[in-house]
Amino acid sequence: MAFAGGGLNRPSSRDSAPGPRFFFFAVLSIVLMYFDQRDGWSERIRYVLTVVAYPIQVVIGSPGMLWSATSDLFETRASLRAENAALIKRDRALALTALRYEALEQENARLRNIHGALPPLVRRSQLAEVVNADLGRLRQRLVIDKGDRNGLYRSQAVVDATGLMGQLVRVGPLSAEVMLITDPGHAVPVEIVRNGLRTIAVGTGEATELDLPYVPVTADVKVGDVLVTSGMGGVFPAGVPVGVITESRRDPDEILARVRAQPRAEMDRSHHVLALWFDPGHPAAPVDPKLVESLPPATVGQPVTTPPKPPSEPPPEVEPKSGEKP
Amino acid sequence: MFAGTRESALLVYITAMIALMLSVLPLPQLLSIAWPNLLVLAVLYWSTMTPSAGGMLLGFVAGLTLDLLNGSQLGQHAFALSLVTYLAIRLHLLTRAKPIFEQALFVLIALFVYEATLWAIDGFSSHHTGSWTRWVHIASGAAIWPVIVGLLGRLHSPR
Repeated sequence: MAFAGGGLNRPSSRDSAPGPRFFFFAVLSIVLMYFDQRDGWSERIRYVLTVVAYPIQVVIGSPGMLWSATSDLFETRASLRAENAALIKRDRALALTALRYEALEQENARLRNIHGALPPLVRRSQLAEVVNADLGRLRQRLVIDKGDRNGLYRSQAVVDATGLMGQLVRVGPLSAEVMLITDPGHAVPVEIVRNGLRTIAVGTGEATELDLPYVPVTADVKVGDVLVTSGMGGVFPAGVPVGVITESRRDPDEILARVRAQPRAEMDRSHHVLALWFDPGHPAAPVDPKLVESLPPATVGQPVTTPPKPPSEPPPEVEPKSGEKP
Repeated sequence: MFAGTRESALLVYITAMIALMLSVLPLPQLLSIAWPNLLVLAVLYWSTMTPSAGGMLLGFVAGLTLDLLNGSQLGQHAFALSLVTYLAIRLHLLTRAKPIFEQALFVLIALFVYEATLWAIDGFSSHHTGSWTRWVHIASGAAIWPVIVGLLGRLHSPR
């Protein structure tokens, strides 16, 4: 089809001077890079540009979303009924577990000599829809449809129904970017439930694998061990399920064991995620890094078992400011 | 009636948008490594065939969009894609008359320059430079160049 006749070849002012134009754009790019590296006002430029980019992200994520929407449309009454029955069954099972959990929590509080019931760890949560996913070897990120407007903040913890997903690295007005725990640039402090061994789980760039590079050969790690967050690092609370150990190989010549784990959350399949707000008064809440710096040195043989008392003047803001590194 | 730069610029940006949509499709692991960067190929095509329609601006805008969507350093893709667009526009009289397989060779070089620029900027700014898999799309991009020419060539009357 003749869309554009001869107009395409007519020399115009646009192609007459690519050199100066290139010079201009190159300088502009370098200035942008310089300020982005320095974390100066480019954060604000990016904030504005995310508003512009958000519709594009929605559009390019739309084929996948369209597919799930169409399959929703053609869901039959019978399959909905079956799903409902399954959910009721699961709800009953979960209610029983919750009952048991409450009893355990009270017992735990008694054992720890904490009087009075603990406040719930999660104070508030925000459901968000995944509008775009970038799951490559170099980057494991999601874009969600909630942002600054809904009070989301940088370094906020994000989970799905099964486990830890990641943290927010960029928050725009209408959208936010989640760095998944499987991103090669992400590390999450974890703990093995069976024996309390603490280590760090690093992303590999694959949505189904985590690497635990700092486990000594002599450490007691078995395939099938469950990993939860240890609460260190001040971003994630303690006790959120992270994954299961899938490989634990030891070579006596090496200092470190080769340990791999499979994340519990469905990085590449979840359509909805939850951003969480924690009660700073809860012992399992993420520790504010500023609070740790002000801790007095613990005397030997007397480990600090209770969280530090917040100062008497206005309680410290646990939510980090947007300018801080997570 | 469609003559003039405005319509063709519209066509250029629409195809760039479609290329962008296709380049971020969720794909299985192996395929996603080999998946070519279709937006860069579209920019290369328009810069070679009709440099007046998109021009340098297309390269810069497409690069900036990639920066935002990838969450990379602002200006990184914009710089690399501007550079490649400049080379493509400067050499378009040379390359566009060549047989298609020789063009694919030029594309191979252009994609290498593009990826090497990104890689160098990653290194300078002490970011994760990634594994060898980031270079795979150069070969696959050059390999599907004849297909790109065949598809996009139908949308306008080349030369």
